[in-house]
Amino acid sequence: MSTLAAISALGSPTFWVSLFTLIGVYACVTMLLNVEAGWGGMWDLGIVGLLAIGSYTYTIVTNPPGEFDVVYAPGWPVWAGILAAMLVTGIVAFLVGLPALRARREYFLIITFAFAEVFRQLAINLRDLTQGTVGFNSVARPFESFFERDALRAVLLVVTWGAALLVYALTRRISRSGYGRALRAMRDNEPVALSLGIRVSRLRLQTFVLVGVAVGGVAPLYMWWLRYANPSVFEPQFTFTAWTALVLGGIASRFGAVLGVAVLLLFTELIELIEVPLEFRNVLVAVHPLAIGLLLVLVLRFRPEGLLSERRTFGARARLATPLDGAGAAVLSRLRLLGRRGDTVNEAGP
Amino acid sequence: MTTPEAAGSGALLSTHGLYKAFGGNVAVHDVSLDLYPDRITALIGPNGAGKTTLFNIITGYERADSGDITFDGRPVTGMAPWEISRRGVVRTFQTPVGFPTMTVWESLQVAGASHAVLTGMLSSRGRHETDELSRRADEILTNLGLKQLIDTPVDELAAGDRKLAELARQLMARPRLLLLDEPAAGVNPGAISRLSELIREVHRSGIALMIIDHNLSFVLDVADYVHTMANGRIIAEGTPEEIAANPVVRQVYMGVET
Repeated sequence: MSTLAAISALGSPTFWVSLFTLIGVYACVTMLLNVEAGWGGMWDLGIVGLLAIGSYTYTIVTNPPGEFDVVYAPGWPVWAGILAAMLVTGIVAFLVGLPALRARREYFLIITFAFAEVFRQLAINLRDLTQGTVGFNSVARPFESFFERDALRAVLLVVTWGAALLVYALTRRISRSGYGRALRAMRDNEPVALSLGIRVSRLRLQTFVLVGVAVGGVAPLYMWWLRYANPSVFEPQFTFTAWTALVLGGIASRFGAVLGVAVLLLFTELIELIEVPLEFRNVLVAVHPLAIGLLLVLVLRFRPEGLLSERRTFGARARLATPLDGAGAAVLSRLRLLGRRGDTVNEAGP
Repeated sequence: MTTPEAAGSGALLSTHGLYKAFGGNVAVHDVSLDLYPDRITALIGPNGAGKTTLFNIITGYERADSGDITFDGRPVTGMAPWEISRRGVVRTFQTPVGFPTMTVWESLQVAGASHAVLTGMLSSRGRHETDELSRRADEILTNLGLKQLIDTPVDELAAGDRKLAELARQLMARPRLLLLDEPAAGVNPGAISRLSELIREVHRSGIALMIIDHNLSFVLDVADYVHTMANGRIIAEGTPEEIAANPVVRQVYMGVET
């Protein structure tokens, strides 16, 4: 690729539409990860496993009959595929959660990681259902008959961000509800949470299943963006990216997941476009992970809690709801446009 | 004040023959006691006497090897901590860490919330319930003199305030019986008489109380009835005056304390 190609990529609407659709998908998953891990304290390192279950469920049930060499292709409509993905992913989350949630922290993390890998191996080996490593080279998308290619991309961008808005509204509702506070309580101090009558084990399982159902609902968006499904797109890298974005944006804050994803993915994609003479290409490729690591280190050096923080999200603002509260106010006060909103105790030093 | 004889039946909490051993160490040995709601009960004893283990057994954090517990006439032996809490037996903890990432107000909201948390989120009662909770939180914080700390994060509170914030939080859980594990520990000596007054006020509001503490003068001042434990057994019980005069108690306990 020449410098010219890079410039044309930046100038191409397709590039930006595609990138921002992906950011929307990751934002959904990362916000849900935040409910589970940030507020619930369940360090899930296998969220890509749930995404895989949802994606395969959607793709398999919506594939047109006869197009692929598989035993099951009912050819359901898109909406039924979404519902099936949510249902199946929820059930799988329940079945995984039962044993995994008996373990704490690092053990839970290892178990969820292992389950995600098991699902990927299943996708490779259940050839009659998934076509193994070949996977599916097309995915049913909504509105396909109404729009031509580029317009459909733009429509799906809007749909994806509509879903992201919905997920944000859900997490906002959670964060201000007794449910959200119970989650943070059990994360902070399980014995005290129990002493207040919070049924910790059931709350964990409920949350894990809720996140499973929601990730199942997000999975079709990922499929629409990707337009193919095979085991390689459900490698642990997806989980790590979501986690990195969450830490970057501010774990347990509310809008941090979205901000973190946007910063991380924009950064990752844009450094891909840096052009250097051919002889330095290898060096540049090697530098990419280093650059992402450096970004993370720098952010955490100056903002240990991430770009946004739990204290800013909750704190006094949790009690005194204002019209501008939430994401907008958080971003604006970051930019010092609003100044401080009375919660001076909440500023975290480095 | 009601004397033990007059109280007779009507015990709110009764333990019968509780026994708990950790390996070869017997922590609680055949403990039977009755707790009456109309008097503040204290449990004293040297370190390792088994007081906290007894609290843990009553509140479900440890399971007794044998023996049983009844609360309000119903067996609660072996129940999970959350289940016992919902029955109305609420405890505090020796180290009041609480929920460090929350403000005082938030942690009180956690305590007062309905237990059907996930479904409660979706119901329309939400807003109404929140108003009610806020009013109650305000009232409790005002009574305990913590109103000005309402938006302070719990981990930024001074030690004494943290104890009071914990008390406020556990009161939000609507206890019928409150078990206080060392309420005076870490509270500066000047504030202890105020703490005693607050504890009496809580009791007057209709909540039965049981207190563990090392500070003997505090306990003898605030309690109406005192059980003394040593080596896992209850070795003496009576009014503070009787306990203060009891030669066995003086030997095993007061010799150690000032």
